[in-house]
Amino acid sequence: MLSLVLILLACIYFPGVIVKVKAFFSGRKGPGILQPWSDIFRLLKKGSVYSTSSSFIFQIGASVYFSTVVIAALFVPFQETTALVSFNGDFVLFAYLLGLGRFLIILSALDVSSGFEGMGANREAFYSMLIEPAFFILLGALAMFTGYTSFHDIFASLHYHNYFSGIIAIIAGYVLANITLVETSRLPVDDPLTHLELTMVHEVMVLDHSGFDLGIIKTANNLKFVLFSSLSANCFIPQSLDLSLRIAIFLVLQVFFAGGIGWLESFRARNKMAMNAQYILSVSAIAMILIFVVIIIKNRI
Amino acid sequence: MILIFKFALLFSFGIFILPKKWKYALGLALHILLIVSTGNWALNALMIGTQTISLDIATWSGPIQLVIDPLSAYFMLIINLICFCGILYAAGYLKPYMPKKRSVFISLHLFSFLWLHGAMLLVTSMRDGIAFLLAWELMSLFSFILVIFEAQKESTLKTGINYLLQMHLGFALIMISFLIAANQTGELSFAGVAKYFTQYNNAPLFLLFFAGFGIKAGFIPLHSWLPRAHPAAPSHVSGVMSGVMIKMGIYGIFRVVSLLQNDLMTIGIIVLAVGVVSGLLGVIMAIMQHDLKKLLAYHSIENIGIIGIGIGVGILGKAIGDDYLMILGLAGALLHNLNHALFKSLLFFTAGNIFYATHTVNMDSLGGLVNKMKYTSTAFLIGALAISGIPPFNGFISEFLIYSGILHHLPAATFWMSLVGVAAVLGLVLIGGLCIYCFTKAFGMSFLGTRRSEQHHLVEEVPPFMLFPAVLIIGLILFIGLRSAFFGEAVINILQQLTNVSTVGITPEIVHSLTAVSNINILLIIVMGVVFGVRTWQQRRVKVEQRPTWGCGYSAGDFRHQYTPTSYADSLRQLVDPLIDYTRHYKSFTEKEIFPPPKTFHTESKDLVEEKTVLSWVHLLVKYLPKAGVAQSGLINHYLIYPLIFLVLIGLLTILNIM
Repeated sequence: MLSLVLILLACIYFPGVIVKVKAFFSGRKGPGILQPWSDIFRLLKKGSVYSTSSSFIFQIGASVYFSTVVIAALFVPFQETTALVSFNGDFVLFAYLLGLGRFLIILSALDVSSGFEGMGANREAFYSMLIEPAFFILLGALAMFTGYTSFHDIFASLHYHNYFSGIIAIIAGYVLANITLVETSRLPVDDPLTHLELTMVHEVMVLDHSGFDLGIIKTANNLKFVLFSSLSANCFIPQSLDLSLRIAIFLVLQVFFAGGIGWLESFRARNKMAMNAQYILSVSAIAMILIFVVIIIKNRI
Repeated sequence: MILIFKFALLFSFGIFILPKKWKYALGLALHILLIVSTGNWALNALMIGTQTISLDIATWSGPIQLVIDPLSAYFMLIINLICFCGILYAAGYLKPYMPKKRSVFISLHLFSFLWLHGAMLLVTSMRDGIAFLLAWELMSLFSFILVIFEAQKESTLKTGINYLLQMHLGFALIMISFLIAANQTGELSFAGVAKYFTQYNNAPLFLLFFAGFGIKAGFIPLHSWLPRAHPAAPSHVSGVMSGVMIKMGIYGIFRVVSLLQNDLMTIGIIVLAVGVVSGLLGVIMAIMQHDLKKLLAYHSIENIGIIGIGIGVGILGKAIGDDYLMILGLAGALLHNLNHALFKSLLFFTAGNIFYATHTVNMDSLGGLVNKMKYTSTAFLIGALAISGIPPFNGFISEFLIYSGILHHLPAATFWMSLVGVAAVLGLVLIGGLCIYCFTKAFGMSFLGTRRSEQHHLVEEVPPFMLFPAVLIIGLILFIGLRSAFFGEAVINILQQLTNVSTVGITPEIVHSLTAVSNINILLIIVMGVVFGVRTWQQRRVKVEQRPTWGCGYSAGDFRHQYTPTSYADSLRQLVDPLIDYTRHYKSFTEKEIFPPPKTFHTESKDLVEEKTVLSWVHLLVKYLPKAGVAQSGLINHYLIYPLIFLVLIGLLTILNIM
């Protein structure tokens, strides 16, 4: 329960911080922290325009996407406090649930018979297929290290294990941060602010969504962002501290994540489209290194 | 019950006698009789224990016995279910053919369909070698007749002969395997195989069996009949063949695996490797296809690969003595049989609906069907989600079992086992991701957008009774997804009786996980309902408009601007180029073409594995066999010399006592 509250709390300021940091680096004052949310609320109240070639798939796509992310949020634990849902192998369901949302949002993009959205749909399917292994290898390595197979048990015991926990946690946090960037379509894989439809990934998929649907898609994106960065934060926060202190660290870490993304997006150019596959596969490669680190630490060779 | 069973098979000949319009009714009635009798045995076998029924037909080794243990019973129920759906679906699908086809062809088709059903039931219940092989042969022959339903097309006939040949190669391999065992133990039966396994090295004989059954199942590199035969066959036949007939190969493998005694590590690694390769290559080849039924056929290979991963993991679990890994690997594989039978037949039936309505299954000319065929597209969507292993549907459950087994083992794994485990997980994950890629393509290109070629005739939804089997299957798909613990427990019980491993510590743990999964699935459906409800409420209060799709300022676009199956697959193609022989037929514009004529663009990809393993031999044969034509001189005196030479040779061999 605590984790869900924390996630929702972080969700409030997360998108705002990114915007603010980006504005700062480009020398502007920028909108207030809550501006992204007020935009979303305005969208939720607006009317909708549907493509004449769209069908019921388009109507349900956004709702399904939003629902899967909401359900996935129930899986994420905060350190040793239990998540609302926890059982052995829960992260498999977590990943496949996000798959359901992705499936439907890809189909909604294909539903409007636009070449541009087809492009985005295709890229989303391709990149998410490539990033999936990284997530599973990572969790596999953590399961190997801790001896547990659920999010909660893994994060509860990650830091108590032995001196090597630090190394594992840092690599795992790094890989998770990279997965976050790909899963949520941020730089260097995808630039949400680009204005050229040919080079967009996620944003071009939702070109024809409007009003309520666009609102919940944006909400889901923000939520997904915080879900992954919370997983990442779980790796970084040392467990020996007091709970209230850890909560504070968590919230501050989320500010840092958001700030980091703002910083990254201000100074880094996006990858060339053709380079993305390599970039994403390299994340899996780093996760693979983690497997070998665990094997060595556990004296399996 | 035995009388009903015999009665059904005997009266099948009546199909030939009855007038055309009653043939189907008799076929259906006989199917139901088969289902009632064998279903009863199967349920008894599952509830009470192994059933033995004497068929009162004697071979030299005594009367044929139907032995139905829980494993047979499980497969029997799957066969009955899918064949029932298949024959129901055939009612609608065959309708356009009824006036066109001659009466005897219709009879032959329905007769073969019934006998395919019967032969598969016999395969699962025969323990005697001869009887098993006989049933196996019947199954191949009748499925061959079903495949060549449209034999007036030359390509279909060719495909059918290809299929028949490959099936007989498999048959020969299985027969040789049985004979090897019989030669050493004196028993031509599964019991003989079991005896052989206790005395000798298991790996060689098992691999022979694996190759024989693998041809039927469609493991790569033995798969090449599959992507040819499925598109050529009518949809209800493809559904049954892909849904259950290839599972007979899996049944055989399960049967043999349950008898294994040694060499487990080698066997496990090989099966797992073949599974991963089949899964990955199968789905990659599927993505490259333009033909919807061919795409589905390659997906059968992919799902057989997943089953192979489960079996491989299970054998490895037995090899290292980890019961949890063994039971969950095999349970995942076993449950995936049922799951695949359900969603694959659903997908083939809906592909059949598309063919019925549009007369094509080429995705290059489909598109925009969703608004015209609402129910078909919903059914296909559910099938697509289920086959991609996405919750809340059933495909996820079996994959979850395999995942759970491997993940549970990882913490205690040795170096090599952890590498093997990671490889298996990687295989499953990549297959899952590629599956999403493939089915967003299949669904998106066939149903969404607007039609990708000029429309020639009116497309409308198929008649309701063609949708009825789909409704039945969807019900079961959802039932497995939402009540997964029941099915998980059931397959574990079957395996417990098959392997005699105690599952006391395993069942409660997995039931707990599966219950949680199912509860999440239910919650997911509720949340989706609530969100959609809120959305509907919001939409009623605001202005909702219909406008053309946003074309980035360009409003004169037409259907040609959409993504096509080729372009959707292109980003993956660049990554896997070495694995597929991809060719692009296109002539670019030349400088002199000021007013260029219409251009065509065509791509195709070849199956490199098939090319290297099967076709290269065929090419060699085609090259050198004509040389033997020298002997065919056309002169009668030459032809008389040949038997003479033969007789002299036989005489010499006898005299010298060489053989």
